Amino acid sequence: MSTDAYKQLRANPYRPWPARITSITELTETEKLFEFRLIDEEVREAFEFDAGQFVEVSIFGVGEAPISISSAPSKQGFIELCVRRAGDVTSALHNKQCGDIVGLRGPFGRGFPFEEMKGHDVLLVAGGLGIAPLKSLINHIHDERHDFGRVTILLGAKNPSEILFRKQFDMWKHREDFDLIMTVDQPDDSWDGEVGLVTKLFDRLDVDATSTFGAICGPPVMYKYVIDEMRKKHMDADRIYVSFERRMKCGIGKCGHCGVGHQYACIDGPVFNYWEAMNLQEAI
Amino acid sequence: MFFRVMDKSRLPDLVAGLQTDFEVIGPVAKGEKFVFATLQDPDELRLDYDTTLLPPKKFFVPPTENLMEFETADNEVVSADVESSPRVLFGLHPCDINALMLMDNVFLGEYEDPYYKARRDSTLLVGVNCEPSPQCFCNSWGTDEVHWGFDIFLSDLGDRYFVSVRSVKGAELLDRFVETRDITDIDTADLQRVTAEFKASFPRHVETSQLPLLLDAKFDDAVWDELGERCLSCGACSMVCPTCYCFDVRDKLSADGKTGERTRVWDSCMFSEFAEVAHGHNFRASSSSRVKYRYYHKQWGYLSKFERVLCVGCGRCERACKADISPRVVIDALQKGATVR
Repeated sequence: MSTDAYKQLRANPYRPWPARITSITELTETEKLFEFRLIDEEVREAFEFDAGQFVEVSIFGVGEAPISISSAPSKQGFIELCVRRAGDVTSALHNKQCGDIVGLRGPFGRGFPFEEMKGHDVLLVAGGLGIAPLKSLINHIHDERHDFGRVTILLGAKNPSEILFRKQFDMWKHREDFDLIMTVDQPDDSWDGEVGLVTKLFDRLDVDATSTFGAICGPPVMYKYVIDEMRKKHMDADRIYVSFERRMKCGIGKCGHCGVGHQYACIDGPVFNYWEAMNLQEAI
Repeated sequence: MFFRVMDKSRLPDLVAGLQTDFEVIGPVAKGEKFVFATLQDPDELRLDYDTTLLPPKKFFVPPTENLMEFETADNEVVSADVESSPRVLFGLHPCDINALMLMDNVFLGEYEDPYYKARRDSTLLVGVNCEPSPQCFCNSWGTDEVHWGFDIFLSDLGDRYFVSVRSVKGAELLDRFVETRDITDIDTADLQRVTAEFKASFPRHVETSQLPLLLDAKFDDAVWDELGERCLSCGACSMVCPTCYCFDVRDKLSADGKTGERTRVWDSCMFSEFAEVAHGHNFRASSSSRVKYRYYHKQWGYLSKFERVLCVGCGRCERACKADISPRVVIDALQKGATVR
């Protein structure tokens, strides 16, 4: 790409950056993990993001969809997106091959307060596809592990086959520097782990409320119950972070589709702390 | 800002002069109503209009707009040209100028919109004072006055205009195309008189105190259900609103599927699928939640960011609504706890 084209891209926030698919991993029947590399070197080097931010994936002729970045900000040069086949754009992406070119715009939105979390314990709770943005945060914490206190990860899924990144987490289960617990609602014969909703796991948790940050991502119905558990552990409302899914068509606070109460999820979120979120109408 | 006085009979000179360099767009009659349209002849201009059907936003964010052209094979942008040509919007009322400034906060703020910006930069605004119509309530928001955001503003003093000049470009054009003179104390006194008469002539005042608090405190009030039952979800209120800016983005493919255009089109939070996300989950599936959200966003959401409400009291939504829902009706119901029927 010429410098001129680069300037045009910079000047127009609606114009997607061309990116090549460099790897596709099938995770489940409905989810794939894509790795992208922005084609222009200058753009690739300039692309920095925070855990919890998203990009707009653009497939011309089909449209755009906002997807949270799953890779860690500490790993540069590529962008990893965990995508569920759900709508037109995500289905079109699922049909793409390695080497195909798509468009990416971003990064957009407000991520998790990584720097603020340093020096504290972290309690991460993910339900289903909610692990996608949290994986970015988990991997970022992993890469700077000595800056954090206790790190607890609770993962919930409907059944064992729907647990995303199962291999990585199976390995992590035995690590001493992460407390990782997985649970499923519907176990099968292969499952020897926890059964039940993710909230059930809180009974056994010992949380130091004065020094713990929470991060939650999952289906809309999950937030209220997980927040209730964190509040029972006396965690402050402004230390509990949630990431919201909305249809962010422009990603830059203009199209209006992602309005939540008096905020827009695309620029004021998608990560909000619970103190903000509890004051947003129709948020939780 | 500086001030001049222009004889009313000179108005066609000014318009004709501007037409030599610009496309001049102004209010013209369409049946018994008015629309903003390109003037072919200066005499078409109707500065005695009440309110136009559509607001001036269509000249900055058109109902349908091509953002870029693409090729599908390599997912490549072929062109993303930003179109703009020199224009003058002539005869804007204060409410419509104020509305454009509210749009500016969105489109020219963080992540500047290059399409809007180009059109804004290439368009001069000439304002004119007005008379309130039965639906007007700009006095309730303070948008009955405007002190910046225009190049030239004409205040009608009967036989002459009190001309306020805000920009260098406006001063230059006034100087080039029309004869004017210095203001006198009599002109200023007349302007004050005209302004006072204008302010006293509003048929209504909407009580807006504590509105954000009421919107939160009465979030579950039955009044929203009543409004929801009445609302037809037609979106007319948003289309005619000078401050509604929501849009949808759509790709249009050519017949062979190899090329296409990415367009944006006006959208409305009143449409049932507006807040839908993947797998069909809809955060505002009910009509009542959508009516509520529109008012919530305008009177509270936007306010929380820009310290102004996203309404200028032009009354277009009231005129357009087939279900008799208007800001006055909604705000009255919140203020008085009264039923909206």
